[in-house]
Amino acid sequence: PPPPPPYFIEQAARGSPTSQHGAAQGRASRSVCGTVAVRCEVIGRRRRRGAGEEGVGCWASWWLGQRGGLVLIEDTIECEGRSLLKTFVAASAHRGESVHVFGFEIPEEEFRAGFDPDVTVRLLYQDGFTDPLRWTGEAGGFCGEEFTALGVSGQLARGPAGPATVVLDSLSWLLLRQPLPAVCQALGRIPMAAASAGLRVTRILALLHGDLHPPGLVETLRSLARAVVGVGPAPEGVGSGGDTPRLASMLQRKETGKVLEKEEYFTILAGFTPKALGEPTGSVPRDEDTDPHSMADPAANLTFNLRLSDTERRARDGVPLPFHFSAQKKSSLLEASASAGKIYYEPDAADDLDEEDPDDDLDV
Amino acid sequence: MAALATGGATPSDGATSFQRKVPASSRLAAIAGTRPSVRHGQLLLSSGLPSLDCVLGGGLAVGTLLLIEEDKYGIYSNLLFKYFLAEGIVCGHNLFVASAKEDPADILKELPAPLFDDVHKNQVDEKETAIKSKQESQESMKIAWRYQNLPKMEVSPAASARFGHYYDVSKTVSPELLKSIKWHRFFLPEEMSLHPEIKTCNMTCGYTRLLQSIQRIIYQEGFDGSYPQKKQKNILRIGIQSLGSVLWGDDICCTDNPEDIFSLTKFLYVLRGLLRMSLSACIITVPAHLIQNKAIMERVTNLSDTVVGLESFIGSERETNPLYKDYQGLIHVHQIPRLNSLICDVSGTKDLAFRLKRKQFTIETRAGSSQCDTFI
Repeated sequence: PPPPPPYFIEQAARGSPTSQHGAAQGRASRSVCGTVAVRCEVIGRRRRRGAGEEGVGCWASWWLGQRGGLVLIEDTIECEGRSLLKTFVAASAHRGESVHVFGFEIPEEEFRAGFDPDVTVRLLYQDGFTDPLRWTGEAGGFCGEEFTALGVSGQLARGPAGPATVVLDSLSWLLLRQPLPAVCQALGRIPMAAASAGLRVTRILALLHGDLHPPGLVETLRSLARAVVGVGPAPEGVGSGGDTPRLASMLQRKETGKVLEKEEYFTILAGFTPKALGEPTGSVPRDEDTDPHSMADPAANLTFNLRLSDTERRARDGVPLPFHFSAQKKSSLLEASASAGKIYYEPDAADDLDEEDPDDDLDV
Repeated sequence: MAALATGGATPSDGATSFQRKVPASSRLAAIAGTRPSVRHGQLLLSSGLPSLDCVLGGGLAVGTLLLIEEDKYGIYSNLLFKYFLAEGIVCGHNLFVASAKEDPADILKELPAPLFDDVHKNQVDEKETAIKSKQESQESMKIAWRYQNLPKMEVSPAASARFGHYYDVSKTVSPELLKSIKWHRFFLPEEMSLHPEIKTCNMTCGYTRLLQSIQRIIYQEGFDGSYPQKKQKNILRIGIQSLGSVLWGDDICCTDNPEDIFSLTKFLYVLRGLLRMSLSACIITVPAHLIQNKAIMERVTNLSDTVVGLESFIGSERETNPLYKDYQGLIHVHQIPRLNSLICDVSGTKDLAFRLKRKQFTIETRAGSSQCDTFI
């Protein structure tokens, strides 16, 4: 793959990572309109499940969301996430959705490089890179200030009808120029504004450079997003030689309120298809032996016997309880709650029922 | 031996036949769903969770503010919010739901369904089959068989004026029940779309609009006593979701030096004034874990009446800690109001944890905490 072309000053300042060619195809957060910030530190291999079908491994189950949501791909200077973003774009396009890309950081040709022709057909690029401040006065292009719900849905309306995915490359660029509340409110209202214009925005994919912003801002965005994928470098020894393995840690928040977290290694193959490489095994095994509140048998280790053998248990069950009435008496007691009080007498073995009136013996 | 009289007013009713004689002119009018507090004489509402009512000393006083500090993913705070609103529906109170994230109509549709007394209903409807099944199940209780037929859950809320109900979180409230109450809404994107000339709603604009909306509802519906001829009084339950988050236009969650550091505190000050002069109670959830400047949370705590913080174990290392394996999170009661007194008489710091099952949300002292350790 050719070396990356010279970038803008800010990207150079960031030190654009060299693993660009990895082109993480990252399953585009297929999450249906959910912004699922999937922190996927997918290392190298992503398992490809057919052309544009479900994402790598577990990702298939991820990208399912019903309402518009935000999927955040968070990268850092150590490991870039644009390739992962492109894999999601490819997956969305393969599913037949139109993809509206609002690009601010790299030129259009560079973004389109590497995609299959059937993907580029569905890609509608809004150019915010060439002339972001509208100095040349030319028509076309997309200005940073136009990023409001109405502005975005206006651009979306120019595309074909049907499900659409909105891709922001990158959200950091917008956040450096506009206040966060405004951007978040706009992101939240894009699905509604698009719906009123007759479109259906299935999800909003955004690339965020995590180290450019204060931690509070990143946390706020993570709490707003439906899924977060964080991309990071993988340790040595994962994957085969030719891939650049990466680690993805994914966090998905479902509608039912459940939160799923997962980490996986992945790489990106040519044509922006991901490939899963397995999961890290670094989690600490649970320490069950040192649990002081384990379910120990309380009857053990005693100087007296608290246990029952079977015969003893049966003998205990057979002992009649003092208020153990016959079934008929019980049912009549339980039912006759409203009637007047009745007296029930059950003679036991020692009783001698004599019908005679004992007062007859009295000689008075 | 006399038959056990389990009857109440009707033979199939599990309630007692003793009824409290309320004097004809009682100072505290009998509003549905409230009861007077024996501690400080205020009228108490149920917060929707009987266990939380116990922790707060009987319930939430009318005219006060309950602030919930959200847990990391907002799951359990959202649940408490819904319990509060669902309790309002069951008691017949009016609701006011404000949110910047979800449409209030969607929030109301997802409220949990109240648990009525199903055993009670069976006895009323099919007596014969019920008796037969009773006889079969008599073997289930060998010693306490007299109590077999007592209903397992409490009697239907419609039948008795019970304080605090249980809800089933797996079911949503029925639409008929929703239609029977009157509710008002405030959805920030909707309010902003009504005024399209304002591009972004900053916090002042959003909070001001919310306060104006609440004040208008209180005045129009007469919750502040402006219609003395209205005999039947009712309570207004106000619920505000995720106040202080970015969607309300406030940037206290993203920076250390927000643009207007006092906007949230000013809002709470005015809101508490509105609550005190009307028959209402308010629940607010605040994403406290995101607020960068800790001084703001201290001021917010001072300006609220009851403050409860939630901490869930999801994603933290405590999830696998065996001490916490029965629980889903911890509850911290940061503040309880001192109404008509110098000190609050609810016992002090407790190590409380909560556990959520489908039909019950219980709050209990954590087994194994320092209060219990001496007995193990």
